[in-house]
Amino acid sequence: MDAEPGAEDGATPVTLSPSEALLLDLLSAAPPGTLIAEEEVASRSGLSPEAVRGSLQRLRSKHLAVAEETSTSTPTLTARGRAARSAGLPERRLWRWLRERVDGVPAENLGAAGLDSEERSAAIGILRRRGWLAPGVPLRLVPGVGDSPAPLEEERVMESIASGRDDIDPKVFRALQRRGLAQVERTTTRRWRASDEGRRLPPAASAPTLLGAVSSAVLSSGAWRDRSFRPYDVRARVPFLTGARPHPYAAWLEEFEEILIGLGFEQAEGPLLETEFWNSDVLFMPQEHPARSIHDALTVRGVEGRPPPSELLERVVAAHEGRPIPGTAVPISPGWRYPYDRAVARRPILRSQTTAVSARFLAARPAPPFRMFSIDRNFRHEALDASHHLEFAQCEGILGEEGITLRHLVGVFRALAEAIGIRELKIRPSYFPFTEPSIEGYVRHPRLGWIEVFPGGLFRPEVLVPLGVGVPVAAWGIGIARLAMVALGISDIRDLYQDDLARLTGREG
Amino acid sequence: MPQATLSAARVEGLLARSLPSEELERILFDSKAELRSRVADELRIEATPDRLDLLTEAGLAAHLAGALGLAQGSLPIVASKGEGAAPSIDATPAVDPIRPVIAAALIEAPDDAPLDAGLLDEAVRFQELLHATIGRDRRAASLGIYPADRLAFPLRYDLEPLAGVRFVPLDARAEVRAPAFFAEHPMGVRFGPLGTDGTRCLTLRDATGGVLSLPPVLNARPLGEAAAGDRRLLLEATGTRAGRVADALGLLALVFLARGWSVRPVTVHAPGRTDDGRALLAPRHIDLPSDLLRTVAGRAYPASEVEHLLSRVRLAARPSPHGWQVEVPPWRPDLLSSRDLVEEVVLARGVRSEDGLLPPSPTRGRRLREVRFRRAFAARLLGLGFVPLLRPVLSPDAVVRILGRTAAVALANPVSEQFAVLRDSLEVSLLAALERNTRHGYPQRVSEVGPVVVADTSAETGARTRTHAAFVLAGEGMGFAEAAAVVDYLLRCEDLRGVREPAEIAGAIPGRAARLRLVGETVAEIAEVHPRVLSELKVPVPVAWGEVDLSALWPLVGRPTGAPTINPEGPSAERG
Repeated sequence: MDAEPGAEDGATPVTLSPSEALLLDLLSAAPPGTLIAEEEVASRSGLSPEAVRGSLQRLRSKHLAVAEETSTSTPTLTARGRAARSAGLPERRLWRWLRERVDGVPAENLGAAGLDSEERSAAIGILRRRGWLAPGVPLRLVPGVGDSPAPLEEERVMESIASGRDDIDPKVFRALQRRGLAQVERTTTRRWRASDEGRRLPPAASAPTLLGAVSSAVLSSGAWRDRSFRPYDVRARVPFLTGARPHPYAAWLEEFEEILIGLGFEQAEGPLLETEFWNSDVLFMPQEHPARSIHDALTVRGVEGRPPPSELLERVVAAHEGRPIPGTAVPISPGWRYPYDRAVARRPILRSQTTAVSARFLAARPAPPFRMFSIDRNFRHEALDASHHLEFAQCEGILGEEGITLRHLVGVFRALAEAIGIRELKIRPSYFPFTEPSIEGYVRHPRLGWIEVFPGGLFRPEVLVPLGVGVPVAAWGIGIARLAMVALGISDIRDLYQDDLARLTGREG
Repeated sequence: MPQATLSAARVEGLLARSLPSEELERILFDSKAELRSRVADELRIEATPDRLDLLTEAGLAAHLAGALGLAQGSLPIVASKGEGAAPSIDATPAVDPIRPVIAAALIEAPDDAPLDAGLLDEAVRFQELLHATIGRDRRAASLGIYPADRLAFPLRYDLEPLAGVRFVPLDARAEVRAPAFFAEHPMGVRFGPLGTDGTRCLTLRDATGGVLSLPPVLNARPLGEAAAGDRRLLLEATGTRAGRVADALGLLALVFLARGWSVRPVTVHAPGRTDDGRALLAPRHIDLPSDLLRTVAGRAYPASEVEHLLSRVRLAARPSPHGWQVEVPPWRPDLLSSRDLVEEVVLARGVRSEDGLLPPSPTRGRRLREVRFRRAFAARLLGLGFVPLLRPVLSPDAVVRILGRTAAVALANPVSEQFAVLRDSLEVSLLAALERNTRHGYPQRVSEVGPVVVADTSAETGARTRTHAAFVLAGEGMGFAEAAAVVDYLLRCEDLRGVREPAEIAGAIPGRAARLRLVGETVAEIAEVHPRVLSELKVPVPVAWGEVDLSALWPLVGRPTGAPTINPEGPSAERG
């Protein structure tokens, strides 16, 4: 950070680096108006040409030095051009080679001419245009034409360039430029003098020396006690730093957790790889339910699950088949009227809904009143696109208490919507196999309009009775990924899981 | 959710009035259906899977008529005068192993309105929708419509040798033999496996031996070809379960019964059982106790309001000592119990946001202590400058393979190779991230705290979900010591100190990998990633990796409360 402040404002004290002070003294020592070449300044100062160039430019930006610039343009040969001048232009080399092969040469044998493929095609083209090459194949020179070794125009112009003569045909020169054989070299020379303002400054020798960076030597020597520090340009560009910061999606989910905790919900978790029993059966989803097919659920290879607890299994089977629960006389309902398959119950499946966590929570027979939430991953057999991911988070919540009704579920929806800053909520009927009544809460988003956010309902008796839960339970499963996309301004669900370090560290938006 | 394209003109015809789209959308928003689009005469309607009756013109019009106040109460189910001998079907025992259930009903047109092309088309479209949905692509139930006047009863449902069956498929002119039909006809090829056992096929014949159909594949001509002008039709369904077959038939009948067709039961004789078919298209009766309605809905409903609301959703209710007895028509198989009737009443009234009540919280909300522990761990990694990732558990097969993690559980039905394996280590996700970030310069420090799934035959689900915390150090000079130092630091923050032991770890440089043990448990792995792995992933710098098993660490640091667990694998809600 050693850029120098400007001197645009006359009230700002001018500060100079040691090399700038030295060079200004050198220029001021010459008679007024005398210009000194930059190379001369370098040799007199003993500084490197690069350091001199930088310091003189800074003196100029401070209006303390003035430069007179002279630019010159000189035609020169490129490295390739210089090589062609000594070895011969490709067309000249091809002409020489063909001249010794009067019967002609098949094109594929041209490799022996010592030309690369680019040179070969250029050379053939030029010789054909000059009419020195006979039409068709094999390649051969037109007899009697081009026998003369007279120089080509290109060769003449290249000689003129090399020897610094000015008899250069501009058309031929441009052709050589296109072939990368010649170029125009521009050089700028500068001659310097001190400006009137520069001459008025006192010589550096009488100015107090300013301190640069604070170093341990400066500190231990105490040099800082009677000297000033060279001021920095505090507006100058500084290095661009990035660093680790909390993952935006994870941070947002944590925030949502806080809302639920504030509403009296405690957290629960369950396994990602479930059995069909816990994922579906215990939730009164018939085993032939379309959402349970391999087209909707993800299954695994080479892993076997264990049977569920036998007493609970028998109660669930009775509910599905419409038989009385063991120990009771009357069925809860006609059930799904099909023969339940116990082998299906133990099949492992990737959890398709966090309601499975609720089922496990209820199976532990919590003492009412209880409120539970779980924000966790679920999996579905979906084609991946901007709004669908195979792996997605859901926020599951249940609320069990004597006297809980559908109105309390709506009350929770309202509280959650208000907590995330949404006031408008409307409810419509819906369907889930495990809740009755089933509803869906839509909220109005300022940009997206009405979006479906809160599906829920009251657990059916066919779910609660087999689990031995004696109080009504309201349940919901929020598509939290969708809410997060809205909150984080993300339009592609895949971005929630993105691992681009530039974006995660804030290097790129 | 299931969708159907319906004719707006047919719906409007049944309502005898026009139906602006805004009005339709408004009514459907408060129902279990939605108008997806309306182009010319075509209404694209979506309904929840329990309300398939809304996906035919007759059912949608009946529902709308109730909502618009044009009609009230249930659609009448009229019994036919029933001339002639009672129709019946004999089912032989041979069908039992393949498709044991058959049910049927005879329906008769009102005098002034025999079958027309529009009604037949509506019925066939609904039939196909029912095949695809409730019929589970005909596996669970399939339906047939036949011209009853051309049939000689009793019918016979049998399993016959293929060689003896010849018929004219509904879409053909010439007779074919059954073996050729199942080998060549598109319907035979597609649905044949449901109606054959290799040498025999299901047949439905009339008393003269004429073929009606080869259930559940295709009808035959002419006995299986209903046409405009027919006055009596046989509706038939076969399947694997009686309930599903009855539900499918009840739904299909709606198309006709809503237009005043009358019903005559068909008796089915099977060995050891006879069903007179009277219950098939007759209403069921379900009680709606008033106290259940109040306790679910959270408000009291005056009796007149309940009856009015049920009437609007086309259900008839009579007062009973404890509430009401409700007549449920056969096309509402979703109404199983009192609870379902409660939903009808509540949703018919409409649930409003302002009805919401938040009960005062009797509970104390909290995070799982183990989750707090994980978050603290993640915060320490963040403090060390590791960029935290949140990656899917479903991981790329290629990276798992390159790392040689052969024990990872693979999906049986993956959607893509990118999401084909359940990671059993976060290293998979972190190295995949390094592979995708090679353009960003080094050093890179990346971490994740998240779930992995580890196969375990002793687990209830065959695998355990565990939480790991892992990091990678990628850049010149990054090696085993740097990674081990990080792991040591993380454990020291928990007042723990493990013992590193040499280990062979897939994907690591032999001799530069260790497991860290703590009171006999492996709690961490540390390694330098093998150049072979790095070169396959095109990561141009050395990489050191460390992974801590937080699920193993938690019991050592968490001082659990001894609370009941709902998760057989550890993490759970903590009560008390």
